[in-house]
Amino acid sequence: MTSTSSNASLIKRHEAIVLFEHWGIALSGLVLLMSGIFQLPSAARYKITTIPGFWWSGNFFITLKIHYIASVIFVGLIVFHLVYHWLLKERAMLPQQGDVSQSIEVLKTFVTKAPEPPFGKYLPEQRLAYVAIAVPVLMLTVSGLVKTWKNIYAPDLDRSLLLWMTWIHNVGFILFFLAFLGHIAALLIKPNRPMLRGMFTGKVSRAYAEHRHPLWIKEQEQNR
Amino acid sequence: MHHEQKPAGISRRGLFKLSAGLVAGATGLAALPKQLTAAPLEGKLATLIDLSLCDGCAGKAQPACVSSCKQAKNHTIPQVVDPIPSPFPTNIIEDWSKKQAVDNRLTPYNRIVVQKVQATINGTQQTVSIPRRCMHCDNPACATICPFSANTKDASGAVVIDQDLCFGGAKCKTVCPWEIPQRQSGVGLYLKVAKEFMGNGVMYKCDLCIDRLKQGKAPACVESCPQKAMIIGPREQIYAEAERRAKAINGHLFGKQENGGTSTLYVSTVPFTELDQQIVPGKGQPALKPGVKRKMAESDGMGKAVLAAPAIGLVAGLVGVFTKLSKRKADNAGKER
Repeated sequence: MTSTSSNASLIKRHEAIVLFEHWGIALSGLVLLMSGIFQLPSAARYKITTIPGFWWSGNFFITLKIHYIASVIFVGLIVFHLVYHWLLKERAMLPQQGDVSQSIEVLKTFVTKAPEPPFGKYLPEQRLAYVAIAVPVLMLTVSGLVKTWKNIYAPDLDRSLLLWMTWIHNVGFILFFLAFLGHIAALLIKPNRPMLRGMFTGKVSRAYAEHRHPLWIKEQEQNR
Repeated sequence: MHHEQKPAGISRRGLFKLSAGLVAGATGLAALPKQLTAAPLEGKLATLIDLSLCDGCAGKAQPACVSSCKQAKNHTIPQVVDPIPSPFPTNIIEDWSKKQAVDNRLTPYNRIVVQKVQATINGTQQTVSIPRRCMHCDNPACATICPFSANTKDASGAVVIDQDLCFGGAKCKTVCPWEIPQRQSGVGLYLKVAKEFMGNGVMYKCDLCIDRLKQGKAPACVESCPQKAMIIGPREQIYAEAERRAKAINGHLFGKQENGGTSTLYVSTVPFTELDQQIVPGKGQPALKPGVKRKMAESDGMGKAVLAAPAIGLVAGLVGVFTKLSKRKADNAGKER
């Protein structure tokens, strides 16, 4: 991507700020998943503490601190994401009517090798996947904030509220983990792979975009 | 979770106060202030353990606090399954169900232990008896970071493990500076989930007889103490009483600062550092650790940053929107030119 000719064959798909949001949330989310697992009494029992470099995994005070550090980034970016894109009316990731049935049709093409329908900037299943990740993320964020508040200021928080928050956090953890696996598994589908470049550099090949996202290209040309 | 205060039964309450008065009067020991004996057990509570009064029930087979605790609590532990599932991969099973009589250490069936140490008091070597059980800390790590919130702090100050929710992972024991909770394998929720791979029983410790508190009754150990070495009451009054007694005997306090503050105050004529040196800590035999810090306080600063993160995200988002709109406006102006 150094020569002028290669630049001309690329098209900007994401702003730098979107890449920053995505990778900030993804990496802090991974740290949260890992430190969250270590908040269960699992590391010492399953000898993870004996793996070189993982001595700290059985220390609940250290893993809590790591969980907090990652939470600052995660929660901050989640709120930033909501405020920034909502106010700028950038809502292309939100599901649209017919996304479920269209997603099924698209999934069928992966098997039948039939041609895909023309897409906009995002595939219908991407918009559904956004919700599938957003729901556990919001569950984790809200319940995590209440649990943090309790840890510092309100150890005798109302027990019913605490149990709700605890189980929302625990179920959110499982859903987030599954959503993360699903997100990664999407890369197993060959037609999706050119999008990976966009998540690292912000750009995808123009040929790919024109072939798979013609509605997005058309929209861009209209707005020019 | 507030306590439901039953109207105090005149006969029972009256009898309690009468017996307390008789004992205190007969033994010439520090008399309880009237407002303390009459105070209802509601709101934030605290207990006072006066080591200058406790004699470890000398001459009795078992201290009264220990036997009354066993009587009040042991029948609440469910029948242990046979065989107890072997936890993978440690294969460590902790079964006290066949050793329920053990009273010389903390166990699930012995939630209070009386430690005896030698100390020099007024120039003479004497035995000091120290009843030990959960301190019911003000901000207990055992409760706040229990992954299933099976361990919670009640509004009364009591720290209570719900045996129907606990998986027996022993995290509470690991983070307790005194390693108070004790595990009984073969009981509890884990048996219904993934018994070999997750959990290993239920953790047990003193719950300050929360069920009795809800009925307006004092914990079994407090009620049974023949020396009235243990008292319970409104936190502020107990704290004031502990200070008063410590001052009166030129003694020392323990539990006020430890682990960030607790709902259990000890008063002693012997410095607690000296008593601590005499204790041989071991399994179920907690050291005193005077002045022990609340370990979770080290992460409170970062926790506060987490609570501030939504505000930081909001401000950053607004700044981002303003910047982008300004740029868009400048670009459009450029295009028009």
